[in-house]
Amino acid sequence: MIDIQSVGFEIDGNKILENINFSIEKNDFWLIFGPNGAGKTTLLRILAGHLPGFLGHVRLDDVNIRKLSSRNLARQVAYLPQEEGIMLPMRVMDILLAGRYPYGSLFKSYDQRDYRMVHEAIEFFELGAFLNRDILTLSGGERKKVFLASAFVQDVSVFLLDEPLNFLDPAASLSVIRMLNQLRKKQKTVVVVSHYLEYFFPHVNKMLAIKEGKMVYAGERIFSAQIFQEVFRVSYGQLNRSGRNVLYLDE
Amino acid sequence: MCYISMNKKIILLFVISLMLVAFIPLLGIVPIHLRSVFTRSQDFFIFWQLRVPRVLLGFISGATLGLSGLICQNLFKNHLATPDILGITTGAGAGAVIAIKLGISFSILGLSGVNLFGFIGALVSVLLVLSIARILKNFSIYSLLMSGVAMSLFFSATIIFFQYIFDFSNTYSILRWLMGGLTVIGYREVILLSILLFFFLIASFLFKRELVLLSVGDEFAISKGLNVKKFRISMFVLISLVVGMSVSVIGPIGFVALVIPHIARIIGRNNYPEMLVSTLLLGGIVLTTADFVSRIIIPPVEIPVGIITSFVGAPFFLVILILDLRNNR
Repeated sequence: MIDIQSVGFEIDGNKILENINFSIEKNDFWLIFGPNGAGKTTLLRILAGHLPGFLGHVRLDDVNIRKLSSRNLARQVAYLPQEEGIMLPMRVMDILLAGRYPYGSLFKSYDQRDYRMVHEAIEFFELGAFLNRDILTLSGGERKKVFLASAFVQDVSVFLLDEPLNFLDPAASLSVIRMLNQLRKKQKTVVVVSHYLEYFFPHVNKMLAIKEGKMVYAGERIFSAQIFQEVFRVSYGQLNRSGRNVLYLDE
Repeated sequence: MCYISMNKKIILLFVISLMLVAFIPLLGIVPIHLRSVFTRSQDFFIFWQLRVPRVLLGFISGATLGLSGLICQNLFKNHLATPDILGITTGAGAGAVIAIKLGISFSILGLSGVNLFGFIGALVSVLLVLSIARILKNFSIYSLLMSGVAMSLFFSATIIFFQYIFDFSNTYSILRWLMGGLTVIGYREVILLSILLFFFLIASFLFKRELVLLSVGDEFAISKGLNVKKFRISMFVLISLVVGMSVSVIGPIGFVALVIPHIARIIGRNNYPEMLVSTLLLGGIVLTTADFVSRIIIPPVEIPVGIITSFVGAPFFLVILILDLRNNR
């Protein structure tokens, strides 16, 4: 579905990313991890089409993403930045409707289909009570849900999420993960960049480890103490609890 | 499905606006009898050629300034980022003063050299603010306010320089204009600014989705498929046109663009179309009222309306600034 071939990125001659190769299949759930500054966010932004100046090739369903208009790309891929940094008050409903932007045009107002999609999202993410609330008055977990819903409204097949659990308490984190699992049940593809390995590890089927812009591992999710040691210089242990693999910090 | 429910406050604003426009021309140090409005007399001239155009100009400019503030806030996603704070208004003022002092007096399509130079002045300051923000990779309140302060000081100095260097023949009238005033004879300026407001309003409605996207954030807007760079630049050209033109007519009237959208956001319940309409009406009401006050407060002297708006607006701005810095820590 998404082919990443020898992708790299440079800023003023500094190599941020180098020779990244992997491919994302439909309905995959990827966890991208690595230390701070490893280039995870850069990689995600390349896939989202925000950094057209990258090296190498990214193909989305065999189409070079550089050739896709930003609008066209937004109909297939949704990207959730790490922080929204909202400063102005804004109704939740407007943020949801914004997800329909790639389907609109200057003179066309939102139609039945747009509202149907928004309502589906409201139900899916249980946002009924928030529609007229100002986004600035919501908690971190609620905000994340709203932005996730706005991505859902885009009616895309791929979700790229940068640190979706940042600033969330355990309950809110688990509820985000539950949402992502439900997206997968709807045949969506999910790619997550996160430091919260213990949260994501039991749920993903693929993983990508990067360090200093270079790929350490890409492929099926496996427990390899060696990979974690190499990437983070800390030891992780694994437990099998009623058929689920649980990861823990073993220091 | 319909998400528009009547906002009673907006209806109230609309009624107040109508009443102001209808009655203020009759009021003043010398009231005008309703009778003389319809019969040829000296009052007839004062009413139709001085007071009515003045009230209309006040209402239209107030609405335009408010709207320019609202749009600018959304483009910089910061409610302190308005044309007056960013130095765009002063830039327009400097452009206009240069045109007056250099005696540039051509006109294209009904636009005078002063109008055009106001636009260019505004455009230059917008581009400067944008490039500073780009160099800093930062649209935070801090960097915007800092560059706004620098810009305002620079353009104020430009204005004083041109005042000082060139002949003093029209110094008083320029000084009076710099304080902001709505004194007009006839309808030329009213028509010019109405046309401008008309197109500005259409653009503000047409681009409402884009403006909502940008007020959430650049990354958000890009991921929804908006070409952020292109859109922002074209909106800024539009803002410069609007601010430049209106400043060249009424002078750099401060604080309306800053204060009005702030209140309108509350009245409009953060719903963009409602905010837009509230900004228009409230801007009109406030500037018309301020001008009325400026006419009658110390009779028979007329105080420049810019002084009134600044007297009221500056403390209000400080309150916003304090609340804002407190909340965004």
